Amino acid sequence: MTPILDMTNVGFRYPERPVFERVSLTLQEGNCTAFVGPNGVGKTTLLRLAAGTLKPTSGRVELQGQSPTTMSLKQRSQLVALVPQQLDISFDFTVEQIVEQGRSPYLGLLRGMLHEDRRAVDRALSLADVSGLRSRIFNELSGGERQRVKIALGLAQEPRLLLLDEPTQNLDIGRQVELIDLLHFLRDEGITILASIHDIHLVHHNFSFVHLMGPDHSLTSGTPKDVLTPERIANAFNCSLGRHPLLMEATAINSSQGLQ
Amino acid sequence: MEAEVKGIAVVHQAAASTERRPGGSAREQSPSSRENGGKPGLSLIVGLLFVALLITILISVSIGAIHVPVGVIAAAILRHNPLSETQRSILLSIRLPRVFASALVGAALAIAGLMFQGLFRNPMADPYIIGASGGAAVGACVGIVFLAEWSIFGYSAAALLAFLGSVLTMAAVYYLARARGRTNSVTLLLAGFAVGTMLSNSTYIFEIFDPNPEVGHRIVAAWLHGVISVPEWKQLAVAFVLLAVGSLSAYPLMRRLNTLALGDEYAHQLGVRVETTRILIILVGSLLTAIAVSLGGLISFAGLIVPHVARLLLGPDHVRLLPVTALAGAIFLVITDTVARTLFAPTELPVGILMAFIGGPFFLYLLRKNKREYTL
Repeated sequence: MTPILDMTNVGFRYPERPVFERVSLTLQEGNCTAFVGPNGVGKTTLLRLAAGTLKPTSGRVELQGQSPTTMSLKQRSQLVALVPQQLDISFDFTVEQIVEQGRSPYLGLLRGMLHEDRRAVDRALSLADVSGLRSRIFNELSGGERQRVKIALGLAQEPRLLLLDEPTQNLDIGRQVELIDLLHFLRDEGITILASIHDIHLVHHNFSFVHLMGPDHSLTSGTPKDVLTPERIANAFNCSLGRHPLLMEATAINSSQGLQ
Repeated sequence: MEAEVKGIAVVHQAAASTERRPGGSAREQSPSSRENGGKPGLSLIVGLLFVALLITILISVSIGAIHVPVGVIAAAILRHNPLSETQRSILLSIRLPRVFASALVGAALAIAGLMFQGLFRNPMADPYIIGASGGAAVGACVGIVFLAEWSIFGYSAAALLAFLGSVLTMAAVYYLARARGRTNSVTLLLAGFAVGTMLSNSTYIFEIFDPNPEVGHRIVAAWLHGVISVPEWKQLAVAFVLLAVGSLSAYPLMRRLNTLALGDEYAHQLGVRVETTRILIILVGSLLTAIAVSLGGLISFAGLIVPHVARLLLGPDHVRLLPVTALAGAIFLVITDTVARTLFAPTELPVGILMAFIGGPFFLYLLRKNKREYTL
């Protein structure tokens, strides 16, 4: 089966600095995977390359076996959505008006919003649990509310591949769990998901597959149990074993298992 | 101060209560209640504005050195009661063309302002501020001083060169502000301001080279201060057609402007060709600016105030704002021009100068108020 996303030996550099070279990543259709790595290692860049908003300086990116550059913009934007970390809106647009923009890939030069577009917007608003905010002004929302509106915007696009850049930031623990449930629900609907997440605990307990990008940009992929070992985490995040509760706990569990 | 604090506290409570509403179903609003809630029907607003424009035009036409009562004009239109020869010639060859010209100028400036504000993601943009008007003025001056004899469809070389000047300036400003395939709005605004100021001041040089100083100076001065001319009907017709073409081509761009409000990268992700869209917006905006400049010279702030007030009242959806700003701009300029020509009668005040006195304080008020809106 053709993977929905296939990145082979992809390299990227901004004019002033290289980010990484020779990164390979494959996503099979219908997977829900987490993406973990230290700050500044290039997680956001990788998501942008996958979404086609950046072009790789070397290597190959393919969406459903096709290069995003040969696809029409419309075709690509109906296939992939990237929920960014930051969304700055100019002017006082309401939540509903913003989420409606997610339908742009489906509108024509003169074709306005149809019934099905309305329905997609309503569904996105209710899945992200922001229906009650629809007539509020986006710029006046709290960080957590904005986060959920951004997810609704991505959902309104009805993509096959949903990329999320730190979707749990600014969310309280209750909303984090709701988000994870939503991601699993979407996965059950056949949407492929790749989410960069900093909370190792959350990844450990809620995802069945994870990619860890180390400081040398090497990718380790597998189940959280195999990939997120205390040693690997300590190494990747340059954090010694006894310094963080997460690692202390994990070390304790590991050593107690060792005793048995 | 105290009132302000209270206001904020109330808003927070209200926000909290919507947030805490339990259960998913309670958050759902039925679509029908949403449609009617808070959004007055667009067609109603546009209809009312259209009627208001007709009434404003009627009243403005009646006002002047020789008063022609509104009743007489209405009777002439509705019951074909003949007007006296003087009244007829005043109305048809002086006042109506002038009032129509000011309506066209107002509509063109307001739509151009709306487009530039959306493009630069900044409510401070207007054709005058970002240099489009300055470029048009230089083109116009070249036409007035060196090609005075030349004309097409009642349009002088000045008008055609105004369009060229406006497009070239906007293209220059746009490419000056570009770095690495991206265009920063702040840089764009600053570049526009610098180029615009250079150009509109450089028009004074034309006075030195003017082969025909007496006449030339007066025309150039009128352009720079913004005096709405009394155009020929042929020229008005061409301006009207161009305005219609400009507004119709602006329509599909308005939805793109809504998407561009999410930022260039997100708009790109949503399938918008960001660069192409920007170039189209600049072209259409420049065309509209040139229509305005060719009829009324440099008029500041009109393109700033009208879209801004409309946005405050109707929200930022550009599709809805397009017809509203066009009509409101026309009404606004018809009124301002009528005041400008009658305030110190028989001496006429250039409408551009009156506009500066209205628009300057408004601009400063915008600067002070609600700083949140100006973060980019």
